[in-house]
Amino acid sequence: MNETLAASLPTLLGIAWLLPLVSFTLIVLFGPRMGKHGIGAAYLATLAIVVGFLCSAIALGMWVSVHPLSPAHAAAEEHAIDVGREHEAGAAEHGHEDLKAPNYYAGDLYTLGQFGKLKVTIGYYIDALTVGMFAMVTLIASCIHFYAIGYMHDELHDVTDHEVVLSDGHHLHRPGRFHRFFQYLSLFCFSMLGLVYAGNIAMVFVFWELVGICSYFLIGFYIERKSASNAANKAFIVNRVGDFGMIIGLMALWAGLGTFAFGDTQEADGSISHGIFSQVRGADSHYELTVPDGMVRAAAYQMVSEVSVDHRRNPDPLAAESEIAARVPNYRAQHYGYWLLVVAGVGIFCGCVGKSAQFPLHVWLPDAMEGPTPVSALVHSATMVAAGVYLAGRFYPVFTPEARLVIAYTGGITLFLAATIAITATDIKRVLAYSTVSQLGYMMLALGVGGWVAGLFHLITHAFFKSLLFLCSGSVIHACHTNEMPNMGGLLKKMPWTGWTMLVGCLAIIGAGLPPVFPFWPFGFGLSGFYSKDSIIAQAYSFWTANPTHGMILFAAAAGGASMTAFYMFRLWFMTFIGPPRDHHIYDHAHESPRIMYVPLVILATFAVVIGWTLSGVWSVTDLLEQARWPGEAGEGVLLPNLVYPNEHVSHEPAVHLIAGLTAFSTALGGVLLAFVFYGARWLNPAEARQQFAPIYTFLLNKWYFDELYQVLFVRPVHFVAAIVAWFDKQVIDGLIHNLARWTRGVAEIDDLIDRYFVDGFVNLFAAWTWSLGNSLRGMQTGKLRQYVMLIVIGTVALAVIVNFASAQ
Amino acid sequence: MNPLAEPVGVSHFMAVGAVMFVSGVVCMAAKRNALGVLMGIELVLNGANINFVALSSEFLSSNGKSGLGLDGQFVALFVIVLAAAEAAVALAITLNFYNNHATVDVDRADELKG
Amino acid sequence: MEPLNWHTFFFFLFALVSCAFAVMVVLSSNIVRMAFYLTISLGATAGLFFLAGADFVGAMQLLIYVGGTLVLLVFGVMLTAQGPFVSMKTRGGDWILAALLAGSLLALLVPAAFVVPEWRGPASSEVAPGLKPTSTPLGMGLLGVRVDKLNERPEALARGMSSYLLPFEIVSVHLLVVLVGAAYLARTKRRRDTRLESL
Repeated sequence: MNETLAASLPTLLGIAWLLPLVSFTLIVLFGPRMGKHGIGAAYLATLAIVVGFLCSAIALGMWVSVHPLSPAHAAAEEHAIDVGREHEAGAAEHGHEDLKAPNYYAGDLYTLGQFGKLKVTIGYYIDALTVGMFAMVTLIASCIHFYAIGYMHDELHDVTDHEVVLSDGHHLHRPGRFHRFFQYLSLFCFSMLGLVYAGNIAMVFVFWELVGICSYFLIGFYIERKSASNAANKAFIVNRVGDFGMIIGLMALWAGLGTFAFGDTQEADGSISHGIFSQVRGADSHYELTVPDGMVRAAAYQMVSEVSVDHRRNPDPLAAESEIAARVPNYRAQHYGYWLLVVAGVGIFCGCVGKSAQFPLHVWLPDAMEGPTPVSALVHSATMVAAGVYLAGRFYPVFTPEARLVIAYTGGITLFLAATIAITATDIKRVLAYSTVSQLGYMMLALGVGGWVAGLFHLITHAFFKSLLFLCSGSVIHACHTNEMPNMGGLLKKMPWTGWTMLVGCLAIIGAGLPPVFPFWPFGFGLSGFYSKDSIIAQAYSFWTANPTHGMILFAAAAGGASMTAFYMFRLWFMTFIGPPRDHHIYDHAHESPRIMYVPLVILATFAVVIGWTLSGVWSVTDLLEQARWPGEAGEGVLLPNLVYPNEHVSHEPAVHLIAGLTAFSTALGGVLLAFVFYGARWLNPAEARQQFAPIYTFLLNKWYFDELYQVLFVRPVHFVAAIVAWFDKQVIDGLIHNLARWTRGVAEIDDLIDRYFVDGFVNLFAAWTWSLGNSLRGMQTGKLRQYVMLIVIGTVALAVIVNFASAQ
Repeated sequence: MNPLAEPVGVSHFMAVGAVMFVSGVVCMAAKRNALGVLMGIELVLNGANINFVALSSEFLSSNGKSGLGLDGQFVALFVIVLAAAEAAVALAITLNFYNNHATVDVDRADELKG
Repeated sequence: MEPLNWHTFFFFLFALVSCAFAVMVVLSSNIVRMAFYLTISLGATAGLFFLAGADFVGAMQLLIYVGGTLVLLVFGVMLTAQGPFVSMKTRGGDWILAALLAGSLLALLVPAAFVVPEWRGPASSEVAPGLKPTSTPLGMGLLGVRVDKLNERPEALARGMSSYLLPFEIVSVHLLVVLVGAAYLARTKRRRDTRLESL
């Protein structure tokens, strides 16, 4: 632990985290009055996120200067020099490698409440992953804020929404909502940063839901459009399904561990309270996945209570405790508590499935394209969907081999499924949306096959090139006022900045680069996606070599997905920018976007190229992420004892890496060539291919009929049950209530009579008396001055007479 | 007994004061002219003043002591000053009333009657 | 025949004049005459003050009342004494009522004046010892020093605690305010005819 970092990191990142909240609050209160038409709201929100980025960048710099980046194989030696002494106990004699828990800084800012052992706090857990995520999120969000200032300028004045037709046949005319857009963006950034900053799973859950509600607001930004409000509802409801699983996972963790915190924190009395990670993968067990004592006891509840009952008559109550403690290893050997851990892992992964749009909850993400494009870019690159992968990565130490395999298969299915749908989609944003789903599948696959760094590395590189692609597509839509690719074409001449930056994005996402074919060329050279995707495929390959059955399926999915990615991305680019224009009206009106929109594109394109590069000791995302890796193995699965997780270092061996690189290169090249044949050079007519494979095409065009399937499986039964309930409500409950109401009315009428004739009569009588008394006394006020004088004298005389008379008595 | 040979006391002064006071009161009660009412007020104040002055005098009482001392004369002075002030304001009000209603009849000033 | 007590003689003289003219003020119905009678009555009252040994108060009575207040009153009389207002008759009923009241009030007050035995007058007829001038103690009292109570106990009284400096200041400010207020109330308002202006 480094004192400087421990003091400054929570503050720096906390500022970056809270600034968007300040901006949000100010815009909520004063938004419409900020500048002309609320333009000031945009400047405020942008300022907040840019300052947040600067703080994050400083934090990243401080981190790197204290924990220098070094190549992965030297990490162990570095750790030995490092200061983190408190985690080394028991690790020294384990094998040849000196294992060490990663460097992290955890603590609590504020305790919300304490319920028995469970403490609910606002805390932080900062490691290399947190710092890297902060820098990535704030940088991309800054670019998107700038871009949105240009993109949303329509909202500065009154808007006529041509997609909404009112009942009188006119289009909807409404005031602009410029400031509201930035208000939501700020809240979104705040939620996402809070999610990354969070030091415990409860806080993660809160910000997790905040991210969800923000996406609801932003997807439904054009709330008057039926499709937009439906999409917002869909995103929200589908996410609830995942969150249900997450709550189950949370309960399992709480029941078993009694804590929500990730890391070890120093209590006020100096003792150390152990977090989830050190309980599950403690230094005592050489960081191997061990079922914690709490979970073992919770699962062996029956036995534990028997021991307690036996000792009920014992005068020494501690004896029961010590006997239970002595029996725990025995219970553990019988796998008590193991399934609780599996439930915790799978449950939390369920939340990630919802948020990261994994199969089978992927259906919300393509519909979420109804939001404005900057939102799509933010939601689908750096924030919301990244949150799921981030959480899966964060909870990686807790996942058992079974849970990992579930993750791997979910990722594999998702990536293949989404890639196939993307091939047939014609809406430019939907292609990108399915590509996002597919890439998220890649990340999950990587995590599932043991490629922790590979998956999170792909998360970060993907964030850059996917936000770039979305912003480019937004620029195209801004120019063409349509989403349909079949109406575009030849736009490269009209929009050179957008076209070329988008080409960079496409190359990055397909992983363009030279594979390591030469011995002196160990890792190849290419754009950012090349490194991350290669490491995923390499890990999948090394998983295949260790586990023939599962590995083959997963590797095939990864390789096939890579080829399809290349095809649909270049299909998109060729259809949009190359060849003769398909619709001359649109082509003639197309124009390059203003500078505030294409400058962020250039910045993001730069990062999309360089973010994956390694400059030893200065610039290496993988080395940074490597610092946050939890050491040790997942151990043997109970259900899958033969599953072997190859060490991620193995995939960096030239032999493995060469095969993976060649696979990736050849599949991608195949995909690009196919796209070129169909859409670039137009040697083959896509329409003929469509007719040739008509059933498959229809199947894919309808997105594997997932929406229809869910309609039949879930929506219809719910409607049916709802109809029955509605009938019951209308007939039985309403009848009861109507009768009740009738009785009440009768009582009230009697009440009314009493009130009117008795209470009111009394009050009115009293008022009448008062009035007549006042009226009769009115005559005394004659207004005659002289009369008053006389009355005074009479009064005086009378008083004197009375006093005299009284004193004479 | 010749009253002119006997010394006079506080009581004699008070009797004079009483006569003036009653005159003033009757003046206030009977005059219709607002200025007449004012004169009545002056008479009432003077009647009271005579009492104050008489009680402050040492040689008007049989025991040679004054009831009020010099304080009686102070009060008399203040009454004179306040009477002057009162006269000025009352006259101003009367003139205003005269300006507005073209009369000084107090019986006509009955706009506030109940 | 006992020797005439001049002090008593002048007392009765002034008392008679002031009472008679006060009654005449009541009885007269001519406003101008009323003002004149009031002047004489108040002037005679000043004489009574002198006889009671209050030389300064008597002087002030003459200066302020007869010289100031009554001039003001006469001024008001002159401003309003036109035609019907010079003599305003009161109805007979009112007179009877007023007379009844006056009688009863007088019957109450005059006996009350003679109730205290010490007030009936000094025993010997050797009255009117040398008059002590009162203007100095009065003036000092108004400035905050009670020279007439220098030997009194408690000493706080002698040190000015019972003086009239503050009432004096209050009365002077009061007078100023009254003068300003009177000037404001009595000034002739030039009524603007809004009806004409609007045309």
